[in-house]
Amino acid sequence: MDYAQGSLGLKLSIVLASTRMRLINVSRYPGQLVLDIIIPIVFASMPILLGRAGAGPNASAVFEQNTGTSNYVAYMLIGASAFSIVSYAFWHMANWLRWEQETGTLEALYLTPTHRIWIAAGTALYSCLRGLFSAVTAYLLGSFILGVNPFQGDIALAFAFILVGLLPLYSLALLFGAVVLKVKEANALINLMQWVVTFLMGIFFPIAFFPPLIKVISLLFPPTWMTNGVRSALLGVGFFFGAWYKDLAVLWVFLLVAPFLGYWVFNRTEISIRRNEGMGQF
Amino acid sequence: MEPAKTYERPPLGTYLSTFWAMVRKELLVMVRYPVNFIASFGQIFLIVAIFTLAGSTFYRTDPGQAVGPNGGDFGSASGVVVYGFILFIFMSDTLWTIGYNVRHEQVQGTLEQLYLSPASKFASLVARVTNLLIWTGLVSIAGSALMALMIGELPIENPFLGLYLLAMSLAGTFGLGFSFAALTLRIKETAQTMANFLQFAFLILCAMFFPFSALPPFIRAISKVIPLAYAVDAFRSTLMGYPPGFPELAPIGFEIVVVTLFGLLMPVIGYFLYRRAEDHARRSGSLAEF
Repeated sequence: MDYAQGSLGLKLSIVLASTRMRLINVSRYPGQLVLDIIIPIVFASMPILLGRAGAGPNASAVFEQNTGTSNYVAYMLIGASAFSIVSYAFWHMANWLRWEQETGTLEALYLTPTHRIWIAAGTALYSCLRGLFSAVTAYLLGSFILGVNPFQGDIALAFAFILVGLLPLYSLALLFGAVVLKVKEANALINLMQWVVTFLMGIFFPIAFFPPLIKVISLLFPPTWMTNGVRSALLGVGFFFGAWYKDLAVLWVFLLVAPFLGYWVFNRTEISIRRNEGMGQF
Repeated sequence: MEPAKTYERPPLGTYLSTFWAMVRKELLVMVRYPVNFIASFGQIFLIVAIFTLAGSTFYRTDPGQAVGPNGGDFGSASGVVVYGFILFIFMSDTLWTIGYNVRHEQVQGTLEQLYLSPASKFASLVARVTNLLIWTGLVSIAGSALMALMIGELPIENPFLGLYLLAMSLAGTFGLGFSFAALTLRIKETAQTMANFLQFAFLILCAMFFPFSALPPFIRAISKVIPLAYAVDAFRSTLMGYPPGFPELAPIGFEIVVVTLFGLLMPVIGYFLYRRAEDHARRSGSLAEF
C-alpha cells in the first residue's frame, strides 16, 4: 500500500496514531504532567514576588499605568501560561527529529512509507493538547492560589486567539526544527529560541517597552498577537489595532502563510541533508 | 596454577590521568558545539532582560524611561537579584550538567560502556564539575555584569568572606548534583521533569531573585530548613555589607556555620548516594535501561 498517496482518512489515522503513541508515552510519567501545571505558576510568581517586594503598596497602580490593568497576577499568569504553550511547541516539534536521531530511530522512520509530515502533525497535535491542558490548568489553579478571579472578560474570545495562534506557532516551530536538523545542536538552539520568542512576545511586560526596531520584530511573531489577544480579551489591556477582529485578522494572515513557509523550509532542509550526510548522523 | 588476580586500588597518578582525560573529553565535546557557547550567553541575556523588564512594570513611572527602574529602590535591589542569579545558574547547571548528563549518557548508550572500563567513576563525576566551573563561571560573570548594567550599581562589600561563602555554596551545590545523578539512575526519564521541578522549587524556596521577605510565612518556614537558602542569604548579605534586614533567615554567624557544613558534607553525602544508586543499577542490570 502506498501510504504517501493514501486517502485523507489514512493520513488522519497516521496523525492520530502518532499523537496516541506520544500520549501513551507521557501517561507513563504522571509526575511530568503535574509539573507541567506547576512550572507556569512558579514562573509567574517570580515577577509577582519581585514586584511586591520592591514596589510595595503602589505595585498595582504603577503596573496599571504601564500595562493597562491593575491585575498583575492574572497578567503574569497569562504570560506564563502562554510561555508554556510556546515552550512545548518548540521542544516537542523542533526537538522531535533530533530526539529520533539520538535514539537511533530516525533512519527506521525514514524507511517506512509514511511521510514525515503526518507524523510531525501527530506530534504537533500531541504537543497542542499537552500545552493547552497545562496552560489552562495552570491559569485556573494559579488564579485560585494567588487569589484572582480567572473567569473575567471574554473567555470565548481569548480561546479564539489561542486556537487561531496555534497553527502559526507550530509552523514556526517546524521551521525552526529544520534549523536544528541542519545545525544539530538542538538543546542550546531550542533553549535560546524559546527565550527569544518568550522575550519578543512580551511574556511579563507590554511590548511598548521595546525600542521601535525590536517592537517591529516582535509584531512579526504570532505568539505576540496571541498573548496580547488573550490579555485584552480577559483583562482589557487593549488590542494592538484597537479592535479584536483586526488583531484576529492579523493572526489569520499568519495562519494562512506560516504553515506553507514552515513546510517548505523543512522539506528543503530534509532533502539537502538526505543528499549529503544523511539523517542519522548527529 | 596461576594465582588469582587481585585488583588493588590504583595510584593517585592513575586517578589524575583519568580525571584529566575525562576533563579533556568534556572540553572537546564542548568545543565541538560552538553554537552552545553563543546560545548560552544569548539565553542568559534574554532571561536577564525578561526579568528586568518584568520588574520595571512595577517601577517605571515615566513612559519614555529606558529599561530599568525609576529611582533608587530597584537599583538597591540589584545585589539581591544579581548575587541570587549567580547561585541560581550554578545550581541549575549543576542539576543539568552533573545530574541529567548521566541520563544523556544512558540514552546515547555510552553509560554502560563507561562502566565496563576500569576508569574511576569518581573522576568521571568530578570532571563534569570542572567544566561546569569554567563554563558557568564565565556565563555568571557575563550575566552579572549585564544585570548590573541594566538594574543598577552592584555593591561589593566583604569580598573575601563572600568568596569563601561562594566556594562553600558551590561545593554544596555540586553535592546536590551528585545526589541528583543518583536519583537520575533510579527514576530515568522522570529525571528531566525532576530537574525542572527542582530548579523552579529552589528558585522560589531559596528566594534567588527576590528577598525572603517577599515569601509568605509558611514558605519562608520551608526555606529555613534548606541549607542552600542560607547560602543564598549569607552570600548576598555579605557582599551587600549587611544592610538593615539582612541576613533575613538567621544571624550571619549561624548562616556561615550552616553554609560551611553544607559545603563540606554535601559532596560526601552526594557521592555516597551516587555510589549506592550505581551499585543498585549494576546489580539490577538497569544501567543501560532508559
